[in-house]
Amino acid sequence: MPRKLIIDGKEIEAEDNLTLLQACEQAGAEIPRFCYHERLSVAGNCRMCLVEWVGAPKLQASCSLQVKDIFPNKDGTPAKINTNSPAVKKGREGVMEFLLINHPLDCPICDQGGECDLQDQAMGYGRAAFHRFAENKRAVADVDMGPLIKTVMTRCIKCTRCVRFATEVAGVPELGATGRGEDVEITTYLEQAFGSELSGNIVDLCPVGALTSKPYAFHGRPWELKHTESIDICDAQGCNTRIDTRGRSVMRILPRLNEGINEEWLHDKGRHIGDGLGRQRLDKPYVRKNGKLVPSSWADAFAAIAARVKATEPDRMAAIVGDLAAAEEIKALKDLMIRLGVVHLDCRQDGAKISGPRPAYLFNTTITGVDAADALLLIGCNPRWEAPVLNARLRKAWLNGGLKVANLGVPVDLTYPVEQLGTSVEVLNALADGSHPFAEVLRNAKRPMLILGNGALARRDGAVVLERAARIARETGMIGPAGTPADGGWIGFNILHTAASRVAALDLGFVPGQNPDGTGGRDVAGIIDGAQKGEIDFIYLLGADELPLENIGRPFMVYQGSHGDVGANYADVILPGAAFTEKDGLFVNFEGRVQEAERAVFPPGEAKEDWAILRALSDVLGEALPYDTLADLRAALVAELPHYGRIGEVPLWQGADPAVWNSLGADGVFETDVPIGQAISDYYLTNPIARASRVMAECSRVLLCGGDQKVAAE
Amino acid sequence: MFLTNWFQHTAGWPYPVAWTVAQLILIVVYQGVVMVSVAFWILADRKIWAAVQMRRGPNVVGAFGLLQTFADAMKFMFKEPVIPAAANKVIFLLAPIISATLAFSAWAVVPLDNGWVIADINVGVLYLFAISSLGVYGVIMGGWASNSKYGFLSALRSAAQMVSYEVSIGFVIVTVLIFAGSLNLSDIVRAQGPDIRGWYLFSPLAPMLVVMFISSLAETQRPPFDLLEAESELVAGYMVEYSSTPFLLYFLGEYMNIILLCALMSIMFLGGWLPPVAVFPFTAVPGVLWLLLKIMVLFFMVSMVKAFVPRYRYDQLMRLGWKVLLPVSMAWVVVAAGWVVFVRPALAHVFGG
Amino acid sequence: MAYLDKKARQIFLWEFVQAFLLAMRYFFAPKVTLNYPFEKAPQSPRFRGEHALRRYANGEERCIACKLCEAICPAQCIVIEAEPRDDGSRRTTRYDIDMTKCIYCGYCQEACPVDAIVEGPNLEFSTETREELFYDKTKLLANGDRWEQAIAKNIELDAPYR
Repeated sequence: MPRKLIIDGKEIEAEDNLTLLQACEQAGAEIPRFCYHERLSVAGNCRMCLVEWVGAPKLQASCSLQVKDIFPNKDGTPAKINTNSPAVKKGREGVMEFLLINHPLDCPICDQGGECDLQDQAMGYGRAAFHRFAENKRAVADVDMGPLIKTVMTRCIKCTRCVRFATEVAGVPELGATGRGEDVEITTYLEQAFGSELSGNIVDLCPVGALTSKPYAFHGRPWELKHTESIDICDAQGCNTRIDTRGRSVMRILPRLNEGINEEWLHDKGRHIGDGLGRQRLDKPYVRKNGKLVPSSWADAFAAIAARVKATEPDRMAAIVGDLAAAEEIKALKDLMIRLGVVHLDCRQDGAKISGPRPAYLFNTTITGVDAADALLLIGCNPRWEAPVLNARLRKAWLNGGLKVANLGVPVDLTYPVEQLGTSVEVLNALADGSHPFAEVLRNAKRPMLILGNGALARRDGAVVLERAARIARETGMIGPAGTPADGGWIGFNILHTAASRVAALDLGFVPGQNPDGTGGRDVAGIIDGAQKGEIDFIYLLGADELPLENIGRPFMVYQGSHGDVGANYADVILPGAAFTEKDGLFVNFEGRVQEAERAVFPPGEAKEDWAILRALSDVLGEALPYDTLADLRAALVAELPHYGRIGEVPLWQGADPAVWNSLGADGVFETDVPIGQAISDYYLTNPIARASRVMAECSRVLLCGGDQKVAAE
Repeated sequence: MFLTNWFQHTAGWPYPVAWTVAQLILIVVYQGVVMVSVAFWILADRKIWAAVQMRRGPNVVGAFGLLQTFADAMKFMFKEPVIPAAANKVIFLLAPIISATLAFSAWAVVPLDNGWVIADINVGVLYLFAISSLGVYGVIMGGWASNSKYGFLSALRSAAQMVSYEVSIGFVIVTVLIFAGSLNLSDIVRAQGPDIRGWYLFSPLAPMLVVMFISSLAETQRPPFDLLEAESELVAGYMVEYSSTPFLLYFLGEYMNIILLCALMSIMFLGGWLPPVAVFPFTAVPGVLWLLLKIMVLFFMVSMVKAFVPRYRYDQLMRLGWKVLLPVSMAWVVVAAGWVVFVRPALAHVFGG
Repeated sequence: MAYLDKKARQIFLWEFVQAFLLAMRYFFAPKVTLNYPFEKAPQSPRFRGEHALRRYANGEERCIACKLCEAICPAQCIVIEAEPRDDGSRRTTRYDIDMTKCIYCGYCQEACPVDAIVEGPNLEFSTETREELFYDKTKLLANGDRWEQAIAKNIELDAPYR
């Protein structure tokens, strides 16, 4: 029930489940705070948010006072709240004085300097001319929080935001406060690295410089950075990010607020991948001569490709799109290949048997829809690694609504209770025909959902898995009317992709079956098999680095991409492309949401934007593509897929037609002796940029491989 | 004379050879002395100017900066001569040579002491007048050959200025000629003897010294009449395109002209080499030193004028030349003639000559 | 009468004579200029000359790479890059000042929290090439070592007024 308040003389009506702090913000008053955070529980321990409730004997901490607790005056007039009275100023100055007693004066060497809440608010509430404390400041031993977080615990003001984040959002209750009074210290209980894929967020949360980014330590200052809005490409969730650059180098990557996708979190890979953008880069074209790759010019590289293309039948050529490609270059590559008459196209490097109409490969529930789900079946996916921010959302659904989760696949700790159903595909049969106990849970749930991961789809019998999953969805009432949960709609059938480019490539039809009747063409396995047998002579790799190329034979391979990784090793011609920070590109996340990543820096050396490379190559091949600018290309893209013009939106749910769900996959028999595997074997090293990054290598070594293994000599 | 005699009698050469060799040696020594002295005149100019501005002036190269001008000259000589691409090369290089050569040759008739003169010709004054009139060619050729609008404008200004003031100078000289009755510079000096009482400065010709002084400043483009190089308008004058040695020649010529005119004024009005008082200690001093002293006084004034008189506008310059100095000097020709014809015989009659 | 007076002054160049006398007074007035390389003007402790990076008495460089000087520099002539040193302390890996851009405003030394970057008393640092005026960290530290005594003295003298 809304309640009336007079805040700074302005009467407002505030919902009674808000805190007074939120009500004050509604009234336009700015309340300083350290411990309070919208997405964390209320702690009320910094006392910076003091306001005056006229009539109350003392100042009130507005963050921990709920609107429903503020009773009106005796005469029935609304309660008066002052947020800027002299008493409030004096109270906050007192709080600030206490906070600064033990806070070191090391702003010049503190990485938080320039973006520090304490620094900012000390400008407003500090009493610089007034020193009362001559005692020594408290010194606190630093905590080892792993390779990503640098700690200077002397600076800590005990707001406990990090503790609450670890416990509530990340679900890794490894942080806590020990001691009392002045002796309170934030520590990791077991003196171990903070083992979460979301650990970087506590750096953002920390209002002072106690927790700072270790890879970024001392490298830059916030005022010298140029900010560019971008999209994370390390997984398919498409977290919104802000790229901070100085000069030509990416200094750091921070999350950007987007309630529909990542709230304000970002996973560690997306956050710390930046140093990989400067290593192992392909900065000039290479052509293989006498078995060795030698630096070359664009003209020579194109000429080498053109000579080969002219000499090869279209039926013996193939193209594969990698995981980090933007929609524009996929479109350009497809248009070029179609003009050349090539039919062997694929984007599913991992061999996932995804196909069918658009809803059949999307995360139909949408990320916000997850909040409303009450039962979840995970099939062959590990959301904690494949989409860590989504996993936090699932955890939030469990915390708030008691989401019941079952996992069919490799047992992993997902930070919330999960019923493990084993790793046998047979269980799918039981779930499909309703004989499994969890099928009952799904049926009884109001909004059941399943997430089908690449661990199950990338099997040889993936098509069968897809068919069974669709059947489970149909049988357990996951396919409801179209629309968002708020509109009463519900579709619980979800595919969890791991590659940022995947949905765009599928939308653009970069899959086999280019003939009008939907047949023809080889998939990735077919292309590699064909190359081994000598049936495929030419392969164009657009940033495809996750392929098993060891026994590829001797086809002519063109690699276009940003990093010297697997694909470049086997290539005969290398065309240096731009990484995601170096081009304007559209990325489509697993919900089907189209988002734009802006160019933050220019590509190194002679590298060019990928679509432009393909456009230039098409000229040399005599099949000029009909767009000369990125705008033209986008226009062509939108003409083909109209919803690509609506950037940032999730397209309307298209699940109403039951026929979609009836025809998915292929009925068949399971290879029962093969357990359901994992799509990702090492969270930190899933793409070429991450593999080039020293920070990611260090994380992988310390956090996944058990840390510093002592060598014999020690 | 002495050298000619020495070569003729001691060395036994025939007279024409002895005379030629003696004259050549004389010319070289004489001009060498003059040229070297220019270095010190330049330094003096800078020092005087600096002193009025409460500065020290050049004082690093050599004692009191005495060698400063030589250092500057070396610098000019070792610099690269830049000739503008569109310039007429021959005339461009010829112009400063003409300027400098004329400045040198004018000195031939200037008597430093009784008999100390290279060419003791009877038309010495006319010769000087002719040579200094030719000086305008060096200027206008240089300005034209530079093919620069600034240089050319400046040369035109300069030519007009020199021509204008030469007229006044001419009439001033006429008055002196009337008084002295001779065109020979040595005779003019002798006519002012024996001591200060005979100097034309203390005769009715005194105002003519002032006219001559002002005209000399204009003739040599010294401030306040340095309109040809009025920096805000014409950058640096007709020599704006010149550098290195050609510029040095112009510079040298300019200062030699200044000193020449100072010397001329000394000879015509201040009694040349004559001492102010013709008694023993003064008569023992060589005449050349008296002349030098007089030149120094006049040069000091020239320098001081540069320091304290603001630059004239061009129309003011022309007005002064044509409407003030010219009528005054013309009138003075009449006055001088009247004096010589009517007053001087009367005075001679009264005072007994 | 006034007309005659004026004309008389003109004819006898009265103003010229006056100006001459004035000029002569100045001629003999004491010189205001200094004989520069041999005598030098007294220098304020606040004189802002050539930059120097100072060290502590134990030889540790003072600069902690806080980049405040870089931030405040109105001419943007300071470029700093920083990294954790091997002992974990915050240090610059690059500290460049483009002396051709510097306007000697002294903001950098005002901003410096540790008195590391200072504008020392040296004003005689002309060079023969432009490149020599692109100071790097080595050059600045060398300056600091060379001028430390004078700089420390100046800071001490100025301290009561800060």
